[in-house]
Amino acid sequence: MGRVTLQTLRAKKFRLLLTSLAVVLGVAFVSGTFVLTDTLGNVFDSLFVTATRGVDAVVRAREPFSASGPGTADTTRPPTPGSLVGLARSTPGVVAAQGNLLRYALVEGRGGKSIQNQAPAFGAAWYPPRGRVNEALDLVPSWRGARSTQPAGPNDVALDVKSAENGGYRIGDQVHVSFASAPPRTFRLTGVFRFGGSDEGLAGATLAAFTPATAEQELANPGQPPSWDEVDVRAAPGVSEIQVRDRLAAALHQAGVQTRYESITGAQLATEQSGNVKSNLSFFNTFLLIFALVALFVGAFIIYNTFSITVAQRTQELGLLRALGASGRQVMASVAAEAFVVGAFSSILGLALGILLVTPLRGLLSAFGISLPTGPVQIEARTIIVALLVGTGVTLVSSLAPARRASRVSPVAAIRDQALPASSGRRRYWWGAAFCAVGILALFDGLFGNATASQAAVTIGAAAGLVFIGVAMVSPLVARPVVSLLSAPARQFHRVTGTLAEQNAIRNPRRTASTAAALMIGLALVSLIAIFGASTKASFASAIDNQTRADFILSPQKFLPFSPGAAQAVRDGFAAASKQPATVVETRNGEIEVTGVPHAVLGLSSDFQQVADVPVRDFDRAAFARGGVLIWEGVAGTHECGLDQRAVCEPGSTLLVRFPQAGTVPLRVAGVVTNRNALPVSTNYTVSLAGWEQRFPQTLDAFVVIRKPSDVSTAQATRIVDRAAQRFGGIKAENKAQFKASELAQFNQTLGLMYVLLLFAVIIALIGIVNTLALSIHERTREIGLLRAVGMTRVQLRRMIRDEAVIVAVFGSLLGLVIGIGFGGAIVQSLHDQGIALTVPVGQLVVFLILAGLAGLLAGWIPARRAGRLDVLHAIDAE
Amino acid sequence: MTTTDPSTRTGVAARAVDASKVYGTGEAVVRALNGITVTFDRRRYTAIMGPSGSGKSTLLHCLAGLDRVSSGRIFLGDVEISAASEKQLTLIRRDSIGFVFQSYNLIPTLTALENITLPMALAGRKPDPAWLDQVIDIVGLRDRLTHRPAELSGGQQQRVAVGRALASRPDVIFADEPTGNLDSRAGSEILTFMRQAVDDLGQTIVMVTHDPNAAGYADRVVFLTDGAIVDELAAPTADTVLDRMKRLGG
Repeated sequence: MGRVTLQTLRAKKFRLLLTSLAVVLGVAFVSGTFVLTDTLGNVFDSLFVTATRGVDAVVRAREPFSASGPGTADTTRPPTPGSLVGLARSTPGVVAAQGNLLRYALVEGRGGKSIQNQAPAFGAAWYPPRGRVNEALDLVPSWRGARSTQPAGPNDVALDVKSAENGGYRIGDQVHVSFASAPPRTFRLTGVFRFGGSDEGLAGATLAAFTPATAEQELANPGQPPSWDEVDVRAAPGVSEIQVRDRLAAALHQAGVQTRYESITGAQLATEQSGNVKSNLSFFNTFLLIFALVALFVGAFIIYNTFSITVAQRTQELGLLRALGASGRQVMASVAAEAFVVGAFSSILGLALGILLVTPLRGLLSAFGISLPTGPVQIEARTIIVALLVGTGVTLVSSLAPARRASRVSPVAAIRDQALPASSGRRRYWWGAAFCAVGILALFDGLFGNATASQAAVTIGAAAGLVFIGVAMVSPLVARPVVSLLSAPARQFHRVTGTLAEQNAIRNPRRTASTAAALMIGLALVSLIAIFGASTKASFASAIDNQTRADFILSPQKFLPFSPGAAQAVRDGFAAASKQPATVVETRNGEIEVTGVPHAVLGLSSDFQQVADVPVRDFDRAAFARGGVLIWEGVAGTHECGLDQRAVCEPGSTLLVRFPQAGTVPLRVAGVVTNRNALPVSTNYTVSLAGWEQRFPQTLDAFVVIRKPSDVSTAQATRIVDRAAQRFGGIKAENKAQFKASELAQFNQTLGLMYVLLLFAVIIALIGIVNTLALSIHERTREIGLLRAVGMTRVQLRRMIRDEAVIVAVFGSLLGLVIGIGFGGAIVQSLHDQGIALTVPVGQLVVFLILAGLAGLLAGWIPARRAGRLDVLHAIDAE
Repeated sequence: MTTTDPSTRTGVAARAVDASKVYGTGEAVVRALNGITVTFDRRRYTAIMGPSGSGKSTLLHCLAGLDRVSSGRIFLGDVEISAASEKQLTLIRRDSIGFVFQSYNLIPTLTALENITLPMALAGRKPDPAWLDQVIDIVGLRDRLTHRPAELSGGQQQRVAVGRALASRPDVIFADEPTGNLDSRAGSEILTFMRQAVDDLGQTIVMVTHDPNAAGYADRVVFLTDGAIVDELAAPTADTVLDRMKRLGG
């Protein structure tokens, strides 16, 4: 039987190639994603090993609680006071201890040009090489012909090679640096350093180094004594990392501060920090894997379809095998073996293609504004195993049903010229309907149930999968009327060829339905994204237009929050220009804990209602301005308020809020936010900025919303705002219309990326159409010969086949559109309380449908050409 | 192509002049046709006979524009089809030639009537209703017109095929073993229709067959062996054909 399998495969190379392609692309996507993530992970592993070079142990503050969201690691960790440097030095086994910190310090290029990308901008302390603990930075001996020296005075700075190069700096140049709280100022460039011996080592971040005294002062947290992020410790020779860590722990214990401070080894620190970055990156991994899974899912349909068709076409041959004594089980095994070989072959090819795909994938992401550092390509065993398992598994599982059908071929089929008896259609339709029903229930559970966001996402994904399979099973029922409707233009314009195309499309409704299903999935997701995107954009635009009264908005150029000094500079600028005050509302993001649960919190200037319509019930403005808290209507009246379980959140009651540094603070509930559409983030809690500095180590602004005084002209106001933004760097200053446009453009970019990633699935679906058509044409060779014999021209023949492809493609797209609109509508509906209202982009959806039709035309091209080349006489004589 | 009613025309419908067909090269060369010259008159029913491998099907295919001769010339009426392009051949087949094959004659997705009118639909022409009526009556399919091939018996399917061949009023109908797959009763029905088509409708038919009974319906039988014409018989009957075959075979 093995020989039969191999012979079959060898005889049908074209078919094998097309079928494989469906799996190859899916597997390539999966393995490419893994390789990319591993490569990035490796970059960050070595980055943090370098960053802690020479460090045997560190002493630092404990995190009071872990923050809630992704990308928030370490955001709640309080600073480490300078007194702990002394404590560490006097611990036995320690030869050196130095305070270390890495804080916001934005370096501009010469002439104010931005050299920052999405990676952060850091400032750090520079210790002289002799006697230093952390050895991550090495001074280069000379820079552009001048000697490079370490920063020695309060006005000196050293830059990493990449920043010095991108900034166009020479030794002795003035470098403009903005800080989180200290006013921006210029420093003299004394030297240039490498990070870990490499020019690229910082993964895109910029680093400015100052003398320890300058660093302590300029990078310090506002309103607090100078302090470090951590104390780096060097152990005496013969003392291990673990020994020194434990001795430091004992010393902390002795001092009675072990509850607030901890000691860990240098290696632990590197692993932990790298892990934090990687867990942020895992978002990318998941994001890409979702699209890879979609591609694989679509591929599964193609495999199923191909095997169904070939099994049907080989009925006679299978019957002969049975007649010659093969058991049903053996026949099934031979089909499964064919699937296994196809799957394994495709997986290996897919894996190889996936590795090649890493560079284009990185390029694609960077084209959409996500630039990632490069490093040596990492191919881990896990990637290979997953690729092989997934590719082979998907192929095998998809071929299971056709293989079972093959095993039921009776020996009589060898002599009877008829296709397989169709398996009970009715049962199939019931199953399909059941799948749809369960899928829709799951969707609603995911959207409106109480699951966490990630659980809900999994539920919704499973719901979509079930609905896709269900619709694919049920859709043969509607294939006839829908196809007949869709064929009207073909019949009208292509007359008899159009009619023949229509007839061919509904000749085998099940085959048409499952071919169309592949495209259906792609189109469903595309239209879902279109609806979600259009709804979100329309709602955002309407919130900006109707609910905000801003004249200007300051926002980060590259997603990274910026110094609050900019807001102050705007205030000062208007104060100098006018007697009337300007309204300058700052927004900040932070993390708090309420009843033991971490929450994101929004910090807001108390006069925010001047610039945005955020309706607040029972608003006690004075209490809010003094440092009160506003709660979202959704948590008002629940028992989520305070540590006392009986306390109900309502205006006037007291909310116990745990801040990372300030500890638990009772805050007065100063009102209930009833509509948060105009707020930049949908948090449950909003804290006034009064006292924010004392409670948060991180004080950077996310947005600044400005209303100018009425007696200042727009032109003058623009100058004031622009000057403030320029002085601090990394900030976009825009008026309301510009802000709206650039935010929408950014959103469009994200949508664009998703469309491109879905293109994979759509291409696989089109390969499916090519494959099915090629197989159908093979099956209809004699018929084509006859048509040609009685006078069908080649042009007519090709047109007939292309028409069929278009009809199938549009049929699938239409099904997809319906599902996409349903899912999109439901998802948007579930976001109703976040201010998103349903918008159906009809024009866009129609364009998708037309594009799908054109794609079908393209898919029909290859089989049409092949059919056109058939020799008439051979075709008629074909068995 | 031509609008003249074929029933009023006389003369030559098709002819082959020194036609040869060679497959393969060198040692493996096979001469399917070996310099055949033969003429088929209008309004006549000609049977081509010969043992398998004699080249009778190849001759039919070449005459019908389905295959090309290696040398020599083929004429359909006055048109030399051996010089026609692929595209011209297709149009000639569509407009001037009718076909009846041994089996698998019909498009399964089309009804009987749609199958009958298919060549005209491909040409974008409307069939002549009076003629179509006549053809449908001759093949006796009036109550089966909306049926699809799968719903028809083998004999009925062949009748649809004959109907299709007649419907476009071709210059010649070529039939390749039209009764080969039928039982004798259905077979003689088909042969009767074809005879009627010549007698009553003035059609021209060239038919390949190996069945002396079938040849007995023709006006003339041409015998082929090894790609060459070896004998002819006018006004044949089943018996005279069988007799001649025995002689040739012996």
